[in-house]
Amino acid sequence: MTMRLRLPTTWRIAWRNLWRNPRRTALALAAIGLSVTLVLLYDGILRWEADYLIDTITGPMLGHVQAHAPEWRHTRAMDKTMGRVSQAVEAVRRDPDVAGVDVRVYAPALAALGEEGFAVVVVGVDMAEATRPSRLLQGLKVPLGGRRVLMGRLLAEQMGATQGAEIAIVGQGIDGSLANDFFTVAALVDTSVDLVNRQAIVMPLADARELFAMGDEAHELVIYARDPARAQSLATRLGGSPELAGVEVLDWKTAAPGMNDLVELVAVMWVFILLLVFVAAAAGVANTALMSTFERTHEFGMLLALGTAPSRIVAMILVESLALGVTGALLGTALGGALVAWAHHVGVDYAKLTGVGPSSVSAWGVTFTMIIRPRLAAIDIVRVVLAVMATAILASAWPALRAARLQPARALRE
Amino acid sequence: MPIRPVCAAAIAAFMTFGVPSGSAARVQQHPTPPDVDAVLARLDDLYRSKSSIARMEVIVTSPRSTRTMRLKAWTRGEDEALIVIEAPPREEGTATLRVGANLWNFLPRIARTIRVPPSMMLGSWMGTDFTNDDLVKESSMHKDFASRIDRRSDAPQGWWLRLDVRPGIVGRWARIDILLDEAELPVEEHHFDRKGRLARVITFDEIKTLGGRRLPSHMTLTPVDTPGQRTEMRYLEAQFNVALPDDTFSLSRLERGK
Repeated sequence: MTMRLRLPTTWRIAWRNLWRNPRRTALALAAIGLSVTLVLLYDGILRWEADYLIDTITGPMLGHVQAHAPEWRHTRAMDKTMGRVSQAVEAVRRDPDVAGVDVRVYAPALAALGEEGFAVVVVGVDMAEATRPSRLLQGLKVPLGGRRVLMGRLLAEQMGATQGAEIAIVGQGIDGSLANDFFTVAALVDTSVDLVNRQAIVMPLADARELFAMGDEAHELVIYARDPARAQSLATRLGGSPELAGVEVLDWKTAAPGMNDLVELVAVMWVFILLLVFVAAAAGVANTALMSTFERTHEFGMLLALGTAPSRIVAMILVESLALGVTGALLGTALGGALVAWAHHVGVDYAKLTGVGPSSVSAWGVTFTMIIRPRLAAIDIVRVVLAVMATAILASAWPALRAARLQPARALRE
Repeated sequence: MPIRPVCAAAIAAFMTFGVPSGSAARVQQHPTPPDVDAVLARLDDLYRSKSSIARMEVIVTSPRSTRTMRLKAWTRGEDEALIVIEAPPREEGTATLRVGANLWNFLPRIARTIRVPPSMMLGSWMGTDFTNDDLVKESSMHKDFASRIDRRSDAPQGWWLRLDVRPGIVGRWARIDILLDEAELPVEEHHFDRKGRLARVITFDEIKTLGGRRLPSHMTLTPVDTPGQRTEMRYLEAQFNVALPDDTFSLSRLERGK
C-alpha cells in the first residue's frame, strides 16, 4: 500500500528537484539529447548504408542469386551456356521469395563504326527486368529491338560513336560460326557498372540470341530475392529444383566474395564509429548524473538529518537520474528523428557536406553515388532509449549509495 | 639468329610451312646433335621470301559440335598472308588479310572490312583454336626466343628443340619445345605459358609430297585446358614459290575474295 503511494511521490519530488536548478538540468538534457541525436543519425546512416551498398552491388549486375553452366564463370567461354532456359525461368519465378529474374547473354565481339575494330562485350538482357528500379538500365525509356542497341558511353567515346550511329558487330556464334550484323545505337548509357560503360553493347535478349545463333539458352540467370538477406537459402533451394539440375546456383556473397568483403568491411567500420559515439554519449549521461548528485551532498545531509530514510534518498536519486535520462532521450529522439527524416527526404550529398571529393566513387568496378539517405527503424530508437536509461541508473547508483551512507553532520558542513 | 619455331603454332606458319625439300637427303648420322642454328636457319631460309598458294581444310571439334571449313590461302614471306573461306556457304567469302602485325577481316554478309584491335589478338580466329595472335606472331618469334637442341628423342628418333623466351619479352609463351624427326620434319610442338604450364600441344602427321616437297600435311592443335576441344588443319593442295601479283595482300584484294 505504502509503496504504491510512495513511488509517485518520489517521482514528483524527483521531477521537482530537477527543476530546482533549471540551468544544470537544461545543460544535462542538452548533453543527453545531443548524444542521442548523434547516435540516431549514425544509426540512420548505418541502416541506409547497408541496404544501399547491397542494392548498388547486386541491383545492376550481380543479382542476389545467379545461375550458370558450371564452367562458365571460370572460362567465360561463349559455348558454356545453360539450356532450357524458359523452363528454368518459369520455375524460378514460381518461388515466392523471388522478386525478379533477368536472363543474360554475354558474348565477346568486335564492334566497328568504320574500319577500326574495338573489343566489346555484347550483353543480352531481359529488357522488362533490366529497366526496373535499381537495375542495370533503370528507368530507361528508349525502345529497343529491331537491331537497336545501347552502348556504354565510355565505349562510344572511344569508338567515336554517337547516338544513331550504325555499327557492325562481329563475333562468333555459339556453334563456332561467324556472327555479324549491323546495329543502330539507340542511346548511350551511363550505368553504375564500369564494365558496361567501357565495353558493353546492350541489346534485348532475343536480338543477342539471334546474332549468336543461340536457342533457348543463356549464360546467366540473375535472380532478385524479395529479401536479400535470404539469398543464401534461396540459392540452395533453387539449386535443388529439377529445372536447374546440373546448373551452378550461387548467392551473390559466394559469387562475388570481394563485394561481400567490401560490404562487411564498411559495416564493421560504421559499427565501430557507432560504438564510439555510443560510449561518448554514455559518458555524457554518466557525467551529468554524477555531477548533479555530488553537487547536492549538503542537501542530502539535510534530508538525512531530517530523518529521511537512506533508501528513500537512493530511490530519489535513481528516479531523478532516470527522469533526466528519459527526458533527454526523448528530446534527442525527437531531434534526431526529425533530422534523419529531413536528410532522408532531401538526400545529403556527402561531397558537398565535407567540401571534398566527388559525389560518386568507383570501387571494384561499381560506381557508388554518395548521396546519403539515412533511415531509422523502431528498434534503433528503443535501443538508444534503453541504453540511456541503463546508463543513467548505473551512473547514479554509486553517488546514490554514497549519499545514503553520508554522515548527516559531516554532510551538512560541506 | 632468325628462327621460326616450326609450326610456330600458327596457321600462317603452317601455310608457309615449306620444310626443307632437301632435308631428307641431308639426314645426318645421328646421334650427333644437329647444329641448332643451322637447322633453324635452313628452315627459316626456306620460309623466307617464299610464296605459296594452298587449299586446306580446317576441322574444329568441340564438345558441342564439329565444324569443317575449307580455306584458300596465299602467303609471301613471313609477313603477308591472305586467307579466304570457301566453305561452308554461310561463311563463304569471309577473308583475313595479314600484313605485318596488322590483321583485317572482311565480312561479305555486311560487306565490311574490320581491323582486329590489339586487345582482340588473343581471341579466336574464325572460331578455331588458333588465336588472331597466332596469325601475326610469326615474324617476331626469332627475336623473342633463344633456341637450343635440348635432347635426343627415341620414339620417334629425332631431337627436341627448345625455345625459351628472352628476358624482358612480353608474350603468351614462356617456352616452346619442338620435336623434329630424323628428316628434321616437325612431329610435335609443346607450348608452355608464362607460368610454365603446358597450354597446348600440336602434332604433325600425314607426311605427303605437296607442291614438290615432303611435309606433314595434317596438324592437330589441342588446347590442354579445354577437354574435347581441338582444331585440325589439313593441306589439300599446295604450290610453293609461285609468283603472286603485287596486289595480292591489299585491302582491295581482301574485299574481292578469291
